[in-house]
Amino acid sequence: MKGTLVVTALMITSALDGAPRLVPLPDKSPLVTMRVVLLTGAAQEPAGQEGVAALCAAMLAQGGTRTLSYKQIVDAMFPMATSVDYQVDKEMVTFSGVTHVDNLEKYYALFRAMLLEPGWRQDDFDRLRDDAVNFLRVTLRGNNDEELSKEVLYNALYQGHPYGYHSIGVISSIQNLTLDNLRDFYKSQFTQANLILGVAGGYPKSFPERLKKDFAALPQGTKSERRLPDPKPLSGNRLVIVEKDTRSVAYSFGFPIEVTRGHPDYVALLVAQSYLGQHRSSAGRLYERMRQQRGLNYGDYAYIEYFPRGMFRMMPDPNLARPQQIFQVWIRPVEPDTAHFGLRLAMYELNKFVAQGMSQEDFERIRSFLSKYVNLLIKTKDAELGYAIDSLYYGIPEYNGFIKKGLSQLTLEKVNRAIRKHLRAERIQFVAVARNAQELRGKILSNQPSPMKYNSEKPGDLLAEDAVIQELKLDFKPENVVVVPVDRIFEARE
Amino acid sequence: MYRVFALLMLFAMTSFAADPTPKAFPYEYDQHDFDNGLRLITVPTSYPNLVSLYIVVQAGSRNEVEPGRSGFAHLFEHMMFRGTKRFPPEKWEATMQKIGADTNAYTTDDHTAYHATFSAEDLETVLDLEADRFQNLEYQESVFRTEALAVLGEYNKNSAAPTSKLFEVLRNTAFDRHTYKHTTMGFLEDIKNMPNLYDYSLQFFDRYYRPEYTTIIVAGDVQPPQVRELVGKYWAGWKRGNYRAEIPAESAPASPRDGKVPWATPTLPWVVVSYRGPAYSDAEKDYAAMDVIAYLGFAESSDLYQKLVIQEQRVDTLYGMNAARIDPYLVVAGSRVKNAADIAYIREAVLNTFSQFKDQLVPATRLEAVKSHLRYDFALRMDNSEAIAASLARAVALRRTPETINRLYEVYGAVTPADVRDVARKYFTEGGRTIVTLQTEQAQ
Repeated sequence: MKGTLVVTALMITSALDGAPRLVPLPDKSPLVTMRVVLLTGAAQEPAGQEGVAALCAAMLAQGGTRTLSYKQIVDAMFPMATSVDYQVDKEMVTFSGVTHVDNLEKYYALFRAMLLEPGWRQDDFDRLRDDAVNFLRVTLRGNNDEELSKEVLYNALYQGHPYGYHSIGVISSIQNLTLDNLRDFYKSQFTQANLILGVAGGYPKSFPERLKKDFAALPQGTKSERRLPDPKPLSGNRLVIVEKDTRSVAYSFGFPIEVTRGHPDYVALLVAQSYLGQHRSSAGRLYERMRQQRGLNYGDYAYIEYFPRGMFRMMPDPNLARPQQIFQVWIRPVEPDTAHFGLRLAMYELNKFVAQGMSQEDFERIRSFLSKYVNLLIKTKDAELGYAIDSLYYGIPEYNGFIKKGLSQLTLEKVNRAIRKHLRAERIQFVAVARNAQELRGKILSNQPSPMKYNSEKPGDLLAEDAVIQELKLDFKPENVVVVPVDRIFEARE
Repeated sequence: MYRVFALLMLFAMTSFAADPTPKAFPYEYDQHDFDNGLRLITVPTSYPNLVSLYIVVQAGSRNEVEPGRSGFAHLFEHMMFRGTKRFPPEKWEATMQKIGADTNAYTTDDHTAYHATFSAEDLETVLDLEADRFQNLEYQESVFRTEALAVLGEYNKNSAAPTSKLFEVLRNTAFDRHTYKHTTMGFLEDIKNMPNLYDYSLQFFDRYYRPEYTTIIVAGDVQPPQVRELVGKYWAGWKRGNYRAEIPAESAPASPRDGKVPWATPTLPWVVVSYRGPAYSDAEKDYAAMDVIAYLGFAESSDLYQKLVIQEQRVDTLYGMNAARIDPYLVVAGSRVKNAADIAYIREAVLNTFSQFKDQLVPATRLEAVKSHLRYDFALRMDNSEAIAASLARAVALRRTPETINRLYEVYGAVTPADVRDVARKYFTEGGRTIVTLQTEQAQ
């Protein structure tokens, strides 16, 4: 397996300069996975057309081709149990699919036509535009408080920046999009200069060449410009409370960091994040203090990269690469009675973490964890392909080896230095989704004590810690704590 | 011994390759019963380095037979992470973390599964840790009371999604006696009372966390003799129990039922039409034929989907579901409606679709397309050891052997248009029907 990856890296390098970049990962599996990534996305959308990238991708993956209606595509896909999936983020538009090798010819004919010969039908467009609006209004805003708080956090941190709205778009703009807008975006962005092709599994030897040849039908184009402004610096703590009639209070908070996969401190921060709150793991510090010891909620995690759909996924989706990332803490819904205390506890832990860093023992444990856990991230061929493409984007070697090497050269001092340098417990953007938003705002601004009541006996040291936490001063200026009615979210660009 | 087995494996694989009708579950496996009733299923896969372990306990929310105990199997799943004398929770976590294991658990109606995926070299460490908690779990009441709050937190995070409440109401409306009346999460009032049930939790462990309820699945870069030896070393001393739950049989369907779910915040309405359906079976045709109906009637390629989602665009989500359950459960068609004014229209369209299966024979070509879909869908999911073990866990929960997958796919293969019609006539009766609608309060 390792041999394959080395060869892959060489092939990628030699395939640069004009020709489409191709990542081949052959093996003897009866399955064949394809991934087509375009290095463009919501960050490239013209003003007023927020959502054009996502709708354009949806039209390809869930609309008809020049010769086939969407119904004909679905009918052809159904016996093979296949589909074309898509994902749109700020810098990448991804199409992927997996087929049994029995059906490779039939499937690929559809896959190729869908991506290269879109049908641009009005009825597909109407349906998919409705889907986009309903995704934002209903699925995200109405039915998922946790993802809502995460996305509002990004919107707040990146106000006035290309990342300042959800990659599906802004509702008022989506409603004004036309088929011509989509065609123009496709023509200018879906180009060979932006293209990375990936194929994995038990495909015939000649298949990668064919893929390259077919996708050479896309216009040559030029690489999309990627000069992003810096996000505006935060001068103090800020809080957006999204007011919604909901049972409990969901929190997310964070701030931009300069570290991405190519940065020298990336592996150090990965260790720090894993210690503080490895995604959906019961071993993280926040989880241990908030859920395990106090029963405050279902879980608490930390991130240094964009990780949407975390409530549905145990592992991150690849191909969400970005040149700018944020540090983020996710506090799963807490009961309204303990919402003030919960926020204080999370801040108490973050404070302590930034001030004290990790111990040698914690460092050794997390390093050992990550050096094996990276193997699990690429347990499927599809994920391996996705990670390989991300590595190409970030200009790093194959991810697994890169992390293992980074971990082997890491020391506790380097990790603690990276924590002090990149993380902080001040100048943070917070987001809460809550009922009785004004009441929560009042409590937080007043800094009134928020004593905890437990349903069982607690050890003395935990109670002593609580005595400090319940008085912890959260430093907010009144003008920086705003209440926003939920029906305003995602409607227009803030 | 190892070498002999390897040769046998090679032979098995070769003959498999020559088989013109390959089995749906494509891997050779080793199934072994220990004297205490514990079953071990080992599946060497072609994926290198990693191993996935699934420990399946055949007790889920179906086993919550006493009133006021809904959600308890799931709470108990949480308690299993609260440690033993030898491995208190911090030590268990630290050990699993050091070896880079991805660990978790889930509970469903019929079973609870504990799973971990890790490097092959750490198999013994994991089997030792897991054997210890299954045999020697020990926690204080204060810890139990805290963990019950985390379950409330889980209910809270689910509660933002209307579909959670929708299914809670659907099951409560459709069933009178059987424990499928409640969801795995349980009723909110029962969840709130959980902290007071420490003693019952000990009894739950004593009843169900026993070898005769448990199947261990090990899939990945392993050889069966080595796995048998390790499992025997750590698990063979586990004592058999003797408890059998009396699951109340549901009364025969008698009259159609309706449920309404008022929703406090803006959302799109949902219409869910269900009929009492068959239990899982890998021998009788009812379950397989009902599965076929769920696809023919409501999958993306169905006429109804084409009409409501693609052409008329009145619905943005439509699905059919015939979940595999030990006892007779529900076949469900769910739709998310774009405009509340269309609710009655959608309801009728879905009812007509169910009804048509009673009157018209489905075209053979459509039936063949569904059969092909089912086979490839299963094959496409077998793309890593974890996925293989996870698929097996669901099968094993029902019939305790991977062979049930092969048998089920044989039954699918034998389903005829007449079988589909007969199953529709048997189950799509007025009396067995429950319809639940959900919509925002002010819109009602």
